[in-house]
Amino acid sequence: MNIVVLVKMVPDTESRLEIVDGKVNESGFKYMVNPYDEFAVEQAVQFKEASGGKVTLVSLFSNDTSIDTDLRKMMAIGADEAIVLRQDGYRGDRPSANAKTISDAISEMNADLVIGGVQGIDYYQGATGPMIAHMLGIPHVSGVTNLEMNGEKFTAKRQIEGGLQVIECSGPVLITCQKDMTKVRFPALKDIMMSKRKPFENREVSLNEGNDVNTDECSLPPARGGGVIIDGESAEEKVDKLIEKLKTEAKVL
Amino acid sequence: MSSVVVVGEVDGNEVKDVSQQVAAVAAGMGDVVGIVMGKNIAEAAMKLSTSKIIIAEDDTLENYDPVRFSSIVTQVVEQTNATRVLMGATTMGKDLGPRLAAELNWGYLGDCLEAGDEGFVRPNYAGKVLAKSNPTNPVVVSIRNNAYPAGESWSGTVENFSGNIPDSNLTTASIEKIGAGTVELTEANIVVSGGRGLESPENYEEHIRPLANALGAAAGASRAIVDAGWVPHSHQVGQTGKTVTPDLYLAIGISGAIQHLGGMSGSKFIVAINKDAEAPIFKVADYGIIGDLFEIVPVLKSKLDN
Ligand SMILES: Cc1cc2nc3c(=O)[nH]c(=O)nc-3n(C[C@H](O)[C@H](O)[C@H](O)COP(=O)(O)OP(=O)(O)OC[C@H]3O[C@@H](n4cnc5c(N)ncnc54)[C@H](O)[C@@H]3O)c2cc1C
Ligand SMILES: Nc1ncnc2c1ncn2[C@@H]1O[C@H](COP(=O)(O)O)[C@@H](O)[C@H]1O
Repeated sequence: MNIVVLVKMVPDTESRLEIVDGKVNESGFKYMVNPYDEFAVEQAVQFKEASGGKVTLVSLFSNDTSIDTDLRKMMAIGADEAIVLRQDGYRGDRPSANAKTISDAISEMNADLVIGGVQGIDYYQGATGPMIAHMLGIPHVSGVTNLEMNGEKFTAKRQIEGGLQVIECSGPVLITCQKDMTKVRFPALKDIMMSKRKPFENREVSLNEGNDVNTDECSLPPARGGGVIIDGESAEEKVDKLIEKLKTEAKVL
Repeated sequence: MSSVVVVGEVDGNEVKDVSQQVAAVAAGMGDVVGIVMGKNIAEAAMKLSTSKIIIAEDDTLENYDPVRFSSIVTQVVEQTNATRVLMGATTMGKDLGPRLAAELNWGYLGDCLEAGDEGFVRPNYAGKVLAKSNPTNPVVVSIRNNAYPAGESWSGTVENFSGNIPDSNLTTASIEKIGAGTVELTEANIVVSGGRGLESPENYEEHIRPLANALGAAAGASRAIVDAGWVPHSHQVGQTGKTVTPDLYLAIGISGAIQHLGGMSGSKFIVAINKDAEAPIFKVADYGIIGDLFEIVPVLKSKLDN
């Protein structure tokens, strides 16, 4: 089986974000593998281990090579090779243009399965996967929490309001992974060493015109002023005051 | 005026509340055409609050399928010359929206917090940044639940979808109902969440679920207790869990880490119960009770029961 894994490099944004002139200051950003995409890598490697085949990582990113070590870590998990599409002026908030560039690259790869994350933790669009699927003319299932493969057939479970939708299909199909799809392994030292010898291709690609909407202005969400601390002599008194406030001030009860 | 297509969803005999909210938003943007797809949905679909409703009913539409649904909406857009498609940011909307945008060659704005004539606002970086845009080109938009009041149900003109429904090689084998009778997190008006302060999964069952039931609320959780295996991931609120925007959010024994706040700080009112006065959750809570949850929660539950 030929599996393509879509890996997005996203800023590690533990810290507070700074806005300058209506734009997020991205100058200090360090990039890491989008957490959801790690599930995709692990799942792809498990399928390969069970029934053979090849796992290729595809990532569209800028010319910044500081991400290479993180991608190598994904190869240490068991991916066979990586293709990094290097784009001058790459941005992560252009799903339409990026999907076009990525689908052009993978259309020649004859993948039976294309697998990625449910969303990037940068812009939270969750758009690139379904867009690529449409461009490749294949179906997709998004937000999958469990994926099984029996011969040519896939069974995917996705969480919907009030239940799990169990979907069956044959490949090629595009799947996006929700957290908990599988447990991502810690690669052994020898796998990390081995990963350094795996093929790692940097391929220049040009900017694509997409239909993306430009962001006009970014801002920080209005700070929620801390409200009141409800005090009282006893648990009972505090609870009474709380219920009173929820009824009369907040009017939510 | 340009026309706007609203993709409605039904739940049993009713149109989903989020679809009515979206219909209300769309009403301010132009002539609104609703499209509802499914099996045995005609009666419910007629309650969608748009002046014209197109109903696509077919056995093959019983369950959401991105290929079929995207094609149908594309045909409706072509028939109506619409320049916008709006839908709820449900599990269907978030899946359909981007595929549809690709099929139409339009832009896509997912999970919007605000939508209207002045533009759209969507969260970036787990809600730590808000991004505003005002597209002039056609767009597909999904809008978060509870962002707007629902439109009133009224009867517009109804038509049957007359285009074609493509084949798809996805088949829904089943829908496994989980947590039957419980309220869905992202649709709930009230959410009661518990964290590590509960100390054990038994205490979650004893304190959080009954309180949620008493309030007709959904039960949520911090990642700490999801990772510990106390409750399934479907309960997780936060950056790597669900984003909720209820009228009331109760955080019980939750410290309020930035990743948790990302998923719930859009709630209208927040209540925090925590024994640590310094817990960051109090910085976002409208009402805070500093105290032992094992003393407070049982009293709260019994008072609410009365
Ligand atoms: C990349 C990344 C993504 C993450 N995504 C998420 C996410 O989506 N959602 C999420 O929630 N977290 C997420 N986290 C984890 C987050 O950083 C915190 O670790 C987590 O939210 C802490 O959970 P908690 O508040 O239950 O536990 P703790 O931080 O341990 O807090 C427990 C609280 O309970 C209080 N307490 C203890 N006993 C009592 C008592 N008897 N009565 C009252 N109060 C009591 C304590 O004072 C404390 O404040 C993420 C972390 C990372 C790095
Ligand atoms: N630049 C990219 N390179 C490779 N994969 C990507 C890229 N952007 C998005 N993806 C894939 O699409 C998923 C959703 O991303 P997004 O649409 O940006 O939220 C990610 O988890 C990746 O699997």
